[in-house]
Amino acid sequence: MLTALWIVLLGMAIIFAVLGLLLAMMILLNRFMKPKKTD
Amino acid sequence: MHIPVSEFLGLLNLNWQIIVMLLIGGLLIYLGTARNVEPVLLIPIGIGILLANIPLSGLVDEGGIFAVLKKAGIDTELFPLLIFIGIGAMIDFGPFLERPYTVLLGAAAQFGIFGTFFLVYALGDGWLHLMNFSLKDAASIGIIGSADGPTSIYVSSVLGSKYAAAIVVAAYSYMALVPIIQPPIMRWLTTKEERRVEMPIEVKAVSQKTKIIFPIATILVVGLVAPKATPLIGFLMFGNLLRECGVVQRLSATAQEELADIVTILLGLTVGGMMVASEFLKSETIIIFVMGIIAFALDTAAGIVFGKIMYLASGRKVNPLIGAAGISAFPMSARVVQKMGLQENPQNHLLMHAVGANTAGQIASVVAGGAMLMLVPLFS
Repeated sequence: MLTALWIVLLGMAIIFAVLGLLLAMMILLNRFMKPKKTD
Repeated sequence: MHIPVSEFLGLLNLNWQIIVMLLIGGLLIYLGTARNVEPVLLIPIGIGILLANIPLSGLVDEGGIFAVLKKAGIDTELFPLLIFIGIGAMIDFGPFLERPYTVLLGAAAQFGIFGTFFLVYALGDGWLHLMNFSLKDAASIGIIGSADGPTSIYVSSVLGSKYAAAIVVAAYSYMALVPIIQPPIMRWLTTKEERRVEMPIEVKAVSQKTKIIFPIATILVVGLVAPKATPLIGFLMFGNLLRECGVVQRLSATAQEELADIVTILLGLTVGGMMVASEFLKSETIIIFVMGIIAFALDTAAGIVFGKIMYLASGRKVNPLIGAAGISAFPMSARVVQKMGLQENPQNHLLMHAVGANTAGQIASVVAGGAMLMLVPLFS
């Protein structure tokens, strides 16, 4: 069961790490790519 | 002259298991046609079950059409990946890009996958040994919590689970049951005051350039950190790029309609064709269906709990209900959130926030699938 617990912990850590990076990327994109009036 | 009638008359080869499967096939067709429950999937799956379980038809035997389709489309992971191009082309990530914080709700709601995986493994080889569930089976069953049929098919077939058919049917069936599974949990975990929190409808718009760069950047970020998720995220984001780049409308339309429709027909028939009585009617199948509900419930609960954390951290500006949409059942769970928000406060339009969390859940569930594919072989 310790194996399963490791998978749970590492799995959630990977998800938050990847999506945390995506969040940072989106914040940067939104900051540097302002919409034009035509958008 | 002796004529072996039982070798060519299907009727003489019927047994109770086959009759049960024929009834299940009929039930799915009924739910799809008469009750309009996920008809696009349940009708092909129902017909597939009927065809596969007719004795002596040869459809599932070596060289039979269902065996060929399974080998070509499921074992190679082709069908789920092609479906993902269509899904990517259908999804507008705008509401998500306008509200980047919703990505965290999508991440939290994936706990259902891992929580269910842990429970299944405890019932199987991990602790109690009550069921024949290996680590790979537990991971494949947990992935029902991705609330995403193609991801469930992909992960269970890559891991080689012997319960792939039951897992896929559970994943698709519960997608249709999201409006029934989620509301009681949402009410149970939130107070009236929390459910009444109003969120702004207007937000800062995102540029078209951002929408074009987003799928490419997502492939790179997800692929480089969780490489096993690359096929799924790659095909999903390819479909989305077709939609957003604005120069290949024909390809985008084809991905959304013809491609998605053709693969859905083939996928539905193949999944139905995998549900032969001897493979499907096992006590494990019942447990898989029960675990599917648990996975959806845990997803919802984890999303709401994280929503409550954001509610407190934001000074009561975030309505915790939108956390329930972090489950990737797109767009059903977003609609459930909108409906419940309006019931509590007629001025409260949570839809776009919930859609943001919902599309975040779509990406997060793919990452969760990739994480499972990465971690399970490592520990097996």
